[in-house]
Amino acid sequence: MATTAEGFQAHTEDAHHDADHKPGFFARWFMSTNHKDIGTLYLIFAIVAGILGGAISGIMRAELAEPGIQVLGYWVDLMGGEANFDANLHMWNVLITAHGLIMVFFMVMPAMIGGFGNWFVPLMIGAPDMAFPRMNNISFWLTVAGFCSLLFSAFVPGTAAGYGAGTGWTVYAPLATYGHDGPAVDFAIFSLHLAGAGSILGATNFITTIFNMRAPGMTLHKMPLFVWSVLVTAFLLLLALPVLAAAITMLLTDRNFGTTFFDPSGGGDPLLYQHLFWFFGHPEVYIMILPGFGMVSQIIATFSRKPVFGYLGMAYAMVAIGVVGFVVWAHHMYTVGLDVNTKMYFTAATMVIAVPTGVKIFSWIATMWGGSLEFKSPMVWALGFIFLFTVGGVTGVYLANGGIDDVVHDTYFVVAHFHYVLSMGAVFSLFAGFYYWFPKMSGRMHSELLAHIHFWIFFIGVNVIFFPQHFLGLNGMPRRYPDFTEAYAYWNHISSAGYAIMAASMLVFFANIAYAFIAGRRAPANYWGEGATTLEWTLSSPPPYHQFETLPVIEEHHDYHDHRPATA
Amino acid sequence: MTSATLQRRNMRVGMLSFLAAAGMVGLGYAAVPLYQLFCQVTGFGGTTQRATEAEADLAARMAQSAGARTISVRFDATTSHSMPWTFAPEKVTETVQIGERDMAFFVARNDSAEPITGTATFNVEPEQTGKYFNKIQCFCFTEQTLQPGEEVRMPVLFFVDPAIMDDPNAQGVEQITLSYTFHRKSEPASADTP
Amino acid sequence: MKFGDWPTRAARFATILWAAILLALAPQAAHAQAATEAPVAAETVDAGAAADVTADAAGETDAADAAGGYEPLGPEWIKGQPTPGALDVQEQYSPIGKTATGLHVGLLWVMGVISLIVLALLIWVIVRYRRGANPSPSKTTHNTTIEVVWTLVPVLILVAIAIPSISLLTKQYESPPEDAVTIKVIGYQWYWGYAYPDNGGFEVISNMMPEDEARAKGFPAQLEVDNRMVVPVDTPLRIQTTAADVIHAFAVPSLWFKIDAVPGRLNERLLTIEEPGIYYGQCSELCGARHGYMPIAIEALPRDQWEAWVRTQPGGTVGGDEPDAAAAAGDAAATLEAGEAADAEAADPAAATN
Repeated sequence: MATTAEGFQAHTEDAHHDADHKPGFFARWFMSTNHKDIGTLYLIFAIVAGILGGAISGIMRAELAEPGIQVLGYWVDLMGGEANFDANLHMWNVLITAHGLIMVFFMVMPAMIGGFGNWFVPLMIGAPDMAFPRMNNISFWLTVAGFCSLLFSAFVPGTAAGYGAGTGWTVYAPLATYGHDGPAVDFAIFSLHLAGAGSILGATNFITTIFNMRAPGMTLHKMPLFVWSVLVTAFLLLLALPVLAAAITMLLTDRNFGTTFFDPSGGGDPLLYQHLFWFFGHPEVYIMILPGFGMVSQIIATFSRKPVFGYLGMAYAMVAIGVVGFVVWAHHMYTVGLDVNTKMYFTAATMVIAVPTGVKIFSWIATMWGGSLEFKSPMVWALGFIFLFTVGGVTGVYLANGGIDDVVHDTYFVVAHFHYVLSMGAVFSLFAGFYYWFPKMSGRMHSELLAHIHFWIFFIGVNVIFFPQHFLGLNGMPRRYPDFTEAYAYWNHISSAGYAIMAASMLVFFANIAYAFIAGRRAPANYWGEGATTLEWTLSSPPPYHQFETLPVIEEHHDYHDHRPATA
Repeated sequence: MTSATLQRRNMRVGMLSFLAAAGMVGLGYAAVPLYQLFCQVTGFGGTTQRATEAEADLAARMAQSAGARTISVRFDATTSHSMPWTFAPEKVTETVQIGERDMAFFVARNDSAEPITGTATFNVEPEQTGKYFNKIQCFCFTEQTLQPGEEVRMPVLFFVDPAIMDDPNAQGVEQITLSYTFHRKSEPASADTP
Repeated sequence: MKFGDWPTRAARFATILWAAILLALAPQAAHAQAATEAPVAAETVDAGAAADVTADAAGETDAADAAGGYEPLGPEWIKGQPTPGALDVQEQYSPIGKTATGLHVGLLWVMGVISLIVLALLIWVIVRYRRGANPSPSKTTHNTTIEVVWTLVPVLILVAIAIPSISLLTKQYESPPEDAVTIKVIGYQWYWGYAYPDNGGFEVISNMMPEDEARAKGFPAQLEVDNRMVVPVDTPLRIQTTAADVIHAFAVPSLWFKIDAVPGRLNERLLTIEEPGIYYGQCSELCGARHGYMPIAIEALPRDQWEAWVRTQPGGTVGGDEPDAAAAAGDAAATLEAGEAADAEAADPAAATN
């Protein structure tokens, strides 16, 4: 963004030499109130959680490489259990539960919102820090505590068959109340409470920061789209997570204190849990993807050297997705026994979401149209994102049809669909954002060559994993199965091979980070050139410990954004 | 803008956001009675209606003037895993005049050696008939306690609202199933876990 | 396969990956084609032939079953099952499945075409507007016409999808006729019970057949069961589902049928099976440890053979067998026995599977 801030980087360093004085190690990283440090902590945390969640999916793909139960017994033994048929199967359910919860709550959300959101929302709006720096710290450590609670749940009794919560990430009643006598489910629920509380505090912080702390001249309609995406996400978090908190609290009291919110024996209804869960759960999927939309918008504009096409349309498309996202939840419940009118409504409402999503896809392409495209690593990941998210999006339209869903509901087709939007959509945007901003955060350039190699191997890997799962699902293979009949062996085998490819690409990723810290060139303030116009590029890499002590002023006339009145 | 006013504004927005979150928690809890109310009012999920004798008389008169047809009603009985009762309808199906009162009986027997209190959940299928299926009296309105070996006949007095004939959604319905599931009333110590 | 050699095999696989994909797709497509042809051939076998087949087989079975005039169908009658390497949905044997297949194929085309259009646009901008080809970017940031177009065109496409989709839903929710054969499907941890309330109220308990036994008999492992859900062919079936403990889902892909079995409530859906044969399905809602080992096998028989099967069941009656009152009186007792049987027969498939 063209600003008057060019000169003020130097100003910051000269006049506030003392302000850049960093606290000692413990105070800096454990009691941190600095949004950049907390962002870094979130990113490190998300990478650690991602390694664990990814390793769990490795165990799952190893088990599913061939029919029969081969691998699970080994892990039951390793975890201190006694491998037998039921223990192995329960271990499977624990693994799928942990994989889902870790990836959703402890990988994607912390990375997107906690990591990049914390780092770049204040920088992009020209704020010195978040509105509530200490609450920011609390958010992070609550998330860590939640993660610990989830890990702990794997080492306490779950069912008669073994340790851990084997309920699926949805923790449906009555599976979570009947037969799951041990405290494992309680710890898993508590983990969601902690992570949820952290996210709600974070959402409050972001909303306040974005509303109150924008630099003079930066109106809402001049905010970078990434900030818009975080704002919409924060509202989704604020309105959706408390409903989950209420639902799982009721589940907790059903389990432990004799209430019967979801227990028919006391007049409760197990389907009410599903309604509440998905009232949270559907906005949750947009919580996971919207910041990705924002990052991709920044990256596409940067590497096209062109302002985002249809800025207002892009911003309000996200708002529309957020709003409509709250009224489509029962499409996760098409087979529970809804009546025909309900199913028709949810079919229609769900398909509506395709319209703003389409606007975004086409606007990204239009941004590139006429641009001067440079294929640096973030751009390549963003391009991969657009295509793979489109594939995940169209299968979403397919699944939206209540009558079609009857054959694919709870099959691998659904697994393939949501991994295309998350494991490829969200994760591709995360890697795009990572390569886009890593030198800004660390001060060191990564290797573009390794980043490109990482992209291609990862792209091939995830497609080999997940594209065949469409075929499995259409042919009827149910999800959450540790074992399958021989007919499903062919594509499962290929899918598991894809995992090995994907895993190899992650080695390249870590090698790249190591390379950057050991031998990476020092990053200049704006290493992407003239296309990078937002405020963070006016600061050094890494930015000073305290930035914008003198607020930058956004000029009235610049061509980055649309200046039409908000008629969209 | 001074930092003091900024802090005040931050506190205000922060508190408002926090209140919104707290409100949503409240809404989550409010969903429990609201969902129940919604089901009772709209017949959502095949929830049956409760009617008074007066309403039943009115329905009968309306049905007579409209020349109501008959409809088949199926009775279904299930017991949950923790319930050592035998529970079945006396007759599996019955043909009733729309609008007319009909009395059906279910038989329950306690097969265990201890007194057991049960509560019944219920719904009708097809679901769109829920708002037309009226119960005047039902054993499901209250808890039932059976002594060891005790067997009881439990009545349900119901009528099908003649308005069902005007609902395009219910046009093809030839048989309504009234289903009950008996659950052992859960005790505070979570008695229904094995 | 041991865990240790998996990475090796996977790595080997990776080296030939693209070749494998390319090689795989073509023959698999053909394979799927061939596989769908097999059941088509079987379709020509009419109900009468079915009777012949079972009559022939009856000679070599144990006396108890033969006495009832019923013999379980053999593997040659398997119609609905997954196909190795298949790319698409299973061949459909119900009217709703055939209707839905039309929409399904249409949607596949819509999905494919949209994905390809986006891919083509991406490739075009990548090639045409790369820095080398277009060093000075344009400054265009809006174009109202195109924005309206790319909002309205998707709306039209969605409306075009919604119309057949809504009519499919309407068809799916047609209520079963009064004389439909009623089967009450009850989900248990981890087996199915099939009660026939109009035929004496007996309940068939259906556990997974041990995998080795299934293979030895020529059935697909993990899909075959000891006692199938036997139904009359070409007859409307009123499938009612409920569960005793946690939520299960009764799903049969080749009949386009899936409905949850929820404890404390009854769900109902109409199902008609068009051809005699065996149709496999699996529980489709996570229900605990052995969620993967409670398959569904439906055996559709000509009406007379189905009636013969009903008479082999304890207390099983068909329409005119006995006066209604007697049948009704028997219901309570029969249900009770069935319930006890359910507990007793919940066999342990663990030994069988390992």
